[in-house]
Amino acid sequence: MSHPPSSRGRKSLDDDGGSTGRSRIKVGVGELAVATDGETLTTSGLGSCVAVALLDDRTGVRGLLHAMLPTEDNARTAAARPGKYVDAGVETLVDELRSVGASPNRLEARVAGGAEMLDLTDAVGPRNVEHAERSLDAAGVPIVASDIGDGVGRTVRFRADGGLVVRAADGFERTL
Amino acid sequence: MRVDVQALGACNRLAEQGAEQAAGALAELTGTDLAVEVTGASVASGEDLAEAFSGRESIGVSVGLRGGLEGEAVLAFDAAHADALLSLLPGGGAMERSAVTEVGNIALGGFLDGWANYLGTGIDMTPPRYFEADGAAVLPDGALAGDGVFLFESRLDATTTDLDFSIYMLPDSGPFRDLIVGKTAPTAAGAGAGRSDRGGMEPSDTGSTAVPYESLSTFASLAKRGSANAADNISMMTGLDTSVDVSRLRFVPLADVPAEVGTEPHAGTVFELQGEPSGYLAILFEEESAAAIAASMLPTEPDEPLGGMAENALCELGNVMTSGFIDGWANVLGTSISHSPPEFVHDIGASTISPLVATLGERQDYGFVIDAAIQTEGVQARCDVYALPDERELAAALARLSEQ
Repeated sequence: MSHPPSSRGRKSLDDDGGSTGRSRIKVGVGELAVATDGETLTTSGLGSCVAVALLDDRTGVRGLLHAMLPTEDNARTAAARPGKYVDAGVETLVDELRSVGASPNRLEARVAGGAEMLDLTDAVGPRNVEHAERSLDAAGVPIVASDIGDGVGRTVRFRADGGLVVRAADGFERTL
Repeated sequence: MRVDVQALGACNRLAEQGAEQAAGALAELTGTDLAVEVTGASVASGEDLAEAFSGRESIGVSVGLRGGLEGEAVLAFDAAHADALLSLLPGGGAMERSAVTEVGNIALGGFLDGWANYLGTGIDMTPPRYFEADGAAVLPDGALAGDGVFLFESRLDATTTDLDFSIYMLPDSGPFRDLIVGKTAPTAAGAGAGRSDRGGMEPSDTGSTAVPYESLSTFASLAKRGSANAADNISMMTGLDTSVDVSRLRFVPLADVPAEVGTEPHAGTVFELQGEPSGYLAILFEEESAAAIAASMLPTEPDEPLGGMAENALCELGNVMTSGFIDGWANVLGTSISHSPPEFVHDIGASTISPLVATLGERQDYGFVIDAAIQTEGVQARCDVYALPDERELAAALARLSEQ
């Protein structure tokens, strides 16, 4: 399966100042994308979903996954999107990064999201985080920073310099 | 005629591909970057269409179809959205006719190419005809008389504006009918559409997802009645005149629902539904609307616009709205549906709905979304209601409905 970086995402002028002239790739729910040319990868409205941002510091190649559910093991549907499940999404993203020149041994991960937004639903956020940690561990990719859990929605921006800017609903931002 | 819900997933994919072609064409014409945010399919009866289109002006393109599909396909922009489209074009209004024709032609071409691949036969298009139409005249001939139309709506996200357009197709158009009935879906899906996933269930489950077209149409009307009940309950509770702006039953990829709610902060309530069908219902207000409606229900001005007092008011309001909403379903479906106590939410809109979509997403990739916009007079408040029923349970209830 091939998922070109802009297959669904829109490219527009970088909103990190615009002076770079580099574009932005928007990653939707259940999607993943790879940036090879300094683009900013963004994904918004993370609730219980988890965002996994991978960087190969030497080549500057980056990838971002916005996964909805922990594992395809219990799946009762064939996934319509490559990034629907955390485990399959991490695996696909690592493969795609490798195919554009990243070395899996050099990858490092930043993880955000996995909030417990509602009591009504079955702790899907924490399960997503747990599976992200497990999948990354299995792929030999260390998690260097994370902003996970709590009951807060998040929007993330994965900058060309490798920083993952996480913005909460109240506007508070931190860079991982 | 029975409609296979699973095949609707495939239809939706094709519509999405068509929308992506349209986005590409528009991007080239306008020099603006565009992406498809949401594509949904809905069923609209002749009666609903007549009502929905009254007073509306549209511009668009229609083509006649021969071969693999017979009939007519229409791509339309609401006049208001057409302005947004024209504002993107370098030549502005002067290019209107040719630009709209070009965009419509490419989008319909992309849409129909997908169908032709899927069906494994060619579809011939007559040259595109540009039109400006009042009311329901925009629809393909015969839409108001028969079973209504299948409506594929897409929203494109441009840097400065959102752009919506709709593609209408008649459901009784030969192979299209066969497709939505599920006759051609299992064999054609993988090879034709170039995908092995059809966004639905395994073929052995097909039977459980086929619902009579008439029931689907009934349920669409029923959804509308539910919204009206909810609005009536707000009127009774607040004394404010309340009306339903839009109410539709759509079939969408679940993963697109958060994008549809958007990234603005929202406040409201979420409910779990138990019974047949089970599922979730979310009532979401933008912050300003939430504060305004809550204040109108409270005897004194609250200390904080969305503090504890407002939360209680919104929960109470959510309770009466949800009861209004599901009572209508339960009556018509002849089932019993109850709801959980309200859970208050106040966060990024998309984030509040993501756990609901994820939970349902364990069982299905697509879902019926009933969305209603409810507006109160006097107080500037508007909310969106997202009802997300379990697909299989809804299909089963609808099938039983038709047997009665």
